[in-house]
Amino acid sequence: MTGLLCVAMAFVSGCTTNVRVKHEFPTVVSKPMDMSAVLVLDRKFRNYQARPNSKTTIELGASQVDLFSKAFSGLFTPLTVVSSKEDAGPDTDLVIIPSVREVQLATPSDSYLNVYEVWIKYNLDIETADGMPIDSWFLPAYGKTPDSYLLSRGVAIEAAAVVALRDAGAKLLLDFFRIPALYGWMQQQSATMTEP
Amino acid sequence: MKYPVFTSLVAAAAISGCASTTTIDDYRPTTEPIKIGVGEKVAILGRSDAGHYETDRGFIDCLGDRLKNASFEVVPEEEFVDALYPWFEPRTAPKHLSRLKKLMQDPVIQEKVQQERIRYLVWLDGEVESHGRTGSMACGITGAGGGCFGYQSWDKNVMFEAVVWDLSDLTEEARIRVDSEGTSYLIGVVAPIPLLTRVKSQACEGMGEQLRGYFSQEVG
Repeated sequence: MTGLLCVAMAFVSGCTTNVRVKHEFPTVVSKPMDMSAVLVLDRKFRNYQARPNSKTTIELGASQVDLFSKAFSGLFTPLTVVSSKEDAGPDTDLVIIPSVREVQLATPSDSYLNVYEVWIKYNLDIETADGMPIDSWFLPAYGKTPDSYLLSRGVAIEAAAVVALRDAGAKLLLDFFRIPALYGWMQQQSATMTEP
Repeated sequence: MKYPVFTSLVAAAAISGCASTTTIDDYRPTTEPIKIGVGEKVAILGRSDAGHYETDRGFIDCLGDRLKNASFEVVPEEEFVDALYPWFEPRTAPKHLSRLKKLMQDPVIQEKVQQERIRYLVWLDGEVESHGRTGSMACGITGAGGGCFGYQSWDKNVMFEAVVWDLSDLTEEARIRVDSEGTSYLIGVVAPIPLLTRVKSQACEGMGEQLRGYFSQEVG
């Protein structure tokens, strides 16, 4: 009976894929702006585990912490990375709190395409040091494998997730300072600072 | 002869059918060799468009291997995009010289390119297409044994283009287009015999030789 149960358990768990994304991202080539910022990467974000479907879990936490820390250090100086909003001191210009809204996965069996695809949708709450919200920015990222030949399901999902995370970093560097509300706030700040 | 039709088919396909035609067109503003200084490198990158389109990875790797023993150093795609992250990702990579010029106006990016000693960038673009599949093959197993009988053929076309950008003076140095086409066969005479056309490797070979011949290492 126990043996049968073990076989059944192994069969059931064998059908699920647990992917741990382990990837160290390169340092970004960018000159950061002279503006202090606090990046809040809370416990949920640090340990984030996506469940795009009932058979797949993707552990994104460690990789997205690495990516966001590196990307934001290319945007702001000084940048402080903290684990809780309460740790953000009052002497900062901006507080940024990213969170994962959704992770989607498409496999060759879903899409009939010869690729694995991952979509990660982030939300970035941007506030001033005193908690005044500036914007809640939606940051979508997409990644796919070139093909699925000779790739196991786990390896392919990890590869697509890494591409999606790289895409998130690229979008951050490209578009962050173009967020209309943030741009307006920065203009306002510099106007206030230059006022006699 | 027991199977005269099949035998002649196999022979005909082997002799002529798998042959492919490769044409190389190149455009260069001058016939002078492209000068590359000692220690300067060439990076090879495949075009991709934010997830919708991607240059055949096998071709990029093949071309990288072809240029391995050249007199200049070739930087693999992954190393280059990591060194300049995130400016050569599908979302951010410059598609035209005007965008490259804008990108290189950033002193941090310019300094990084100089620090990595990357002088030329080879952009690869293209794909492999199969079409015109004809014939049929049936495979089966009986008590007396099994086998496949029949005949299939399909055409394969490849088109790749390489554009060479000079990262120092931000100009286009050369443009090469390689077209190759051929027909592959699968002949079932008990066992299926594939006679595959080598269009991709021939296109890679042609482009590799052409690119290798363009560059001339400066002495000293």
